[in-house]
Amino acid sequence: MKKFAIGLYVAVTLALMVWGFYQAIYVAPEDAMQGEIYRIIFYHVPSASVAFLFFAISLAGSIGFLSFRRGHAEWAQISDAWALAGAEVGVVFCTVVLITGPIWGRRAWGIWWTWDARLTTTLVLWLIYVSYLLLRRFAAGPQVQTLAAALGIFGALDVPIVYMSNRWWRTQHPAPVFGGSEGSGMAKVMVHPFLWNMLAWLAWGLLILALRYHVERQHQQNAAAEAQEALESA
Amino acid sequence: MDPAAILDHQFVTAAYIITWTLQLGYLAWLGLKWRAEKRAAARRTHHAR
Repeated sequence: MKKFAIGLYVAVTLALMVWGFYQAIYVAPEDAMQGEIYRIIFYHVPSASVAFLFFAISLAGSIGFLSFRRGHAEWAQISDAWALAGAEVGVVFCTVVLITGPIWGRRAWGIWWTWDARLTTTLVLWLIYVSYLLLRRFAAGPQVQTLAAALGIFGALDVPIVYMSNRWWRTQHPAPVFGGSEGSGMAKVMVHPFLWNMLAWLAWGLLILALRYHVERQHQQNAAAEAQEALESA
Repeated sequence: MDPAAILDHQFVTAAYIITWTLQLGYLAWLGLKWRAEKRAAARRTHHAR
């Protein structure tokens, strides 16, 4: 039953990805101002949204780890696995944002990069979570998870700053399309393809996140068993 | 065809290809990592017997 549910979810996700691609390329009309290049929005914005969501999951996992580490060892490990999975998959999506953004910017603005508030805070967010992953990969000792959890919490503080940056400051990056000032928004014929792609990328992201979580749980179980064997043989 | 439109099309294609390369590359790496963890668990179980 579990295998069937997973298979069904994978099939639905793949169908959504194909449908989202079809909507983005063949259904959404050309933009009157930007022409074809605006189609990057169907990958760029959903990737940013999913990255924010996963960094929030990493935040919740980090807080959970710090809360449970003294009394509930198993819950602490589960929280830590979610924190790591959220951070790592979030970095993948944030990397997509930082690559597709400049490609779009080169055609729309004539430059690959500028140090405006939105771009800079996004780069800082990416750097913080890359540091988080490097810490987890290369540091050793019993305090690594605790240090990583603290870093994960500080990293997540940048997410609302990134989100609000083009509301608080004047930026090269466009003003918010959704939830922005009066007159902002998207033509109706473009909204449906956009929402399909949001759904598709969310489904894809959750699939990868769940897989990353299970890999980390398996890794924790292997490490715990190895430690137990070492204790018994000593 | 307008040269600007051709360039736009190439940029969109590049953005889509890079996105999928990153996502599928990460998925492949994750698959390898999962297989390695599963094998390590199976080896340990085998040794325990």
